[in-house]
Amino acid sequence: MKKILLVLLAVFFALTSVFAAAQQETAPVQKVVLGSQPVAITFWHSASDDAGPLVDKYVQEFNAKNTYQITVKAIYQGQYSDATTLMKTILSAENYKELPDIMQLDATGKLDYYNSGKAFTIDNAVKYFNDDIIGGYLAGALGNWQFSGAQLGLPFATSTTLTYYNKNALKAAGWDRGPDTFADIIQLSKDMKAKGITMATYGTVPNTPSLANWLGQLGSYVVNNSNGADAKATKLECIANGALKTFLTEWKAMYDAGALQNQSLSTNQFVAGEVAVFTGSSSSISNLLSKVGGKFEVGASTFLRVNSSAQYGATVSGSCLVMFDSDDALRKAATWEFIKYMTGESVQADFAIGTGYTPGFKAAVENQNYKNLLATTPQFAVAPQQLAKTPASMRSVTVGPTVDFYYAIQNEVSDMLKKGTTVDATVASMDTNLQALLNNYLRMNP
Amino acid sequence: MMKRKTRTLIQDSIVSTMAIGFGVILIFPLIYCLAGAFKTSYEFLTPTLLPGSFTYLDNFKEALVKGNLLRYTVNSFIIALFGTSIRLVFSILAAFAFAYYDFKFKNLCFFLILGTMMIPADVLLATNYLTVSRLHLLNSYVGVMVVSFVSGSQMFMLRQRFMSVPKDMREAAQIDGYGDISYMVNVLIPICKPVITTLFVHSFITLWNAYLWPLIVTASSPNMRTIMVGITKLNSWEDENYQLVLAGVCISLIPSMILFIIMRRNMRRGGMDGALVG
Repeated sequence: MKKILLVLLAVFFALTSVFAAAQQETAPVQKVVLGSQPVAITFWHSASDDAGPLVDKYVQEFNAKNTYQITVKAIYQGQYSDATTLMKTILSAENYKELPDIMQLDATGKLDYYNSGKAFTIDNAVKYFNDDIIGGYLAGALGNWQFSGAQLGLPFATSTTLTYYNKNALKAAGWDRGPDTFADIIQLSKDMKAKGITMATYGTVPNTPSLANWLGQLGSYVVNNSNGADAKATKLECIANGALKTFLTEWKAMYDAGALQNQSLSTNQFVAGEVAVFTGSSSSISNLLSKVGGKFEVGASTFLRVNSSAQYGATVSGSCLVMFDSDDALRKAATWEFIKYMTGESVQADFAIGTGYTPGFKAAVENQNYKNLLATTPQFAVAPQQLAKTPASMRSVTVGPTVDFYYAIQNEVSDMLKKGTTVDATVASMDTNLQALLNNYLRMNP
Repeated sequence: MMKRKTRTLIQDSIVSTMAIGFGVILIFPLIYCLAGAFKTSYEFLTPTLLPGSFTYLDNFKEALVKGNLLRYTVNSFIIALFGTSIRLVFSILAAFAFAYYDFKFKNLCFFLILGTMMIPADVLLATNYLTVSRLHLLNSYVGVMVVSFVSGSQMFMLRQRFMSVPKDMREAAQIDGYGDISYMVNVLIPICKPVITTLFVHSFITLWNAYLWPLIVTASSPNMRTIMVGITKLNSWEDENYQLVLAGVCISLIPSMILFIIMRRNMRRGGMDGALVG
């Protein structure tokens, strides 16, 4: 009886293997020709306010002009974090048919996209379509959308952080240029006080992106694996090399000199004439200039450096476009055409003119309309110049506990100034608390 | 006697002052919102509370167009009205059963329902999505509303209110030939009108203000989006348009305010007025 059962079992396994193998061999290979039939794809975006109508315009133009019978359905999915939550919910429910073909993603969604199991990375697409377009994009802009050696997406809205200053106020204080280092801020504060200028000099509370910039200038990452760009970040990398201590020392010196306010004074306070200098995204130039109007002259310079020996530069941020694997060759081909269009010369140049974002496509930087803008509004020119100066190794931070990390950094640095904690104690506290956040995430997401 | 009067006067003054103080604190965000909605972008950056003029309506116009708020208001209204009504019907029926019937595992069932109040909504996001997806209710109004059809807290509050109505009322109604449904409709609900009205208003506002769930369920149907999603379209990373957002918020407050004004009298009226007279 036992023997019969064993034989039956063996036959069952043999048949199963044969059928399985046969199924693999006969899996249909879809041969598609784009344009042979209409195809509809879905595009999720988070472009709101002035960027929203621009994105809608590009989609309408693409739908009207493409010769492949492609129709793109653009859907606004809330802010980046909301869109990422939606993506995560769909992935948890394994309801993949609800995923879009293409999605606008910021840094907070990078890891979730990579781990989704449905990512159709740019590397995959280049290989699949035998269409190597990577060389057409700026290396700095591409770098922000890489993870674990894979190019996840193509840059759509590329920005960096700049220093904006009130030229009139600085001129009154005897300055004919923008501040370059933290020491400059201290000196500027002294000069402003000496001339009786009462507005605040500078005010911000460091968070994950700004800390990545300042530590990057000192040649250090916040966390290991190139700030989590090469692989999951597992530990802090700015403690042993002394970079965090150097930064905090310089930061505290600004505060102790009365040059720094321990609060985020940004666009609105700058426009209202409450602060002379602020660091903000290059993407807000258009709106900043329109809000200031003719009240005072706005100056823009490269991102503040920790000290004179630090490198120039700031990491790239913004958003990229990523593709999902729809298992449909025609839709994938249509998506590839659309992603090339949205990240290509005409759209990138127009989007940069309309918003202040920097083009991520090389040809768009050379676009005549964009060049005209740089000639007439020099503030726009600082971002591309800074991108060129930024070392390729400088990366934004990709960690699992994104939100907790962000606020933990803000609280630790803020507490140091408010409570008078020493730099060494703050370094030790950040080491413990930030590492604990990483450990917790890694324990729950091995 | 005089001393007592003076003491009462002082007590009343203190209580009134505190009440006015709390009232001002409560109403201040509303005043700020309303004032901000009429400000120009430059005025918004100034420290003054009131706008230069209450006739500056550009923010409202822009909010309506940019955020597609008219269309989204209709969606929000459908979802809030039907969701609330169905939720209330379920809650009244369940609360009646728990208050008046005896059946096996009654207490266990009741505690299980109470238990649902302890689970944060965010935890249920993925499982609710999965359920709605398997029921093929994604991208539909029913899909948005279905998760709010049953409310443990409403059942609990109504059950407690129903239990406070004297049993004699039900017996008197039964003698008059009323069945359970007739008693519920003609006697119990009118008596408990203030609680039911309060729950209706509260539930309506909760569903009206819902953001993440409607966003997720209508991922492929942008025309079914609610007004809260529309308001997020008014602000962006590149620019902080708080005056536009506040105009959007003001528009979104109108239906809730109207509902509150209509229902206010019912919410305040004593439930047992004259119930046992005659």
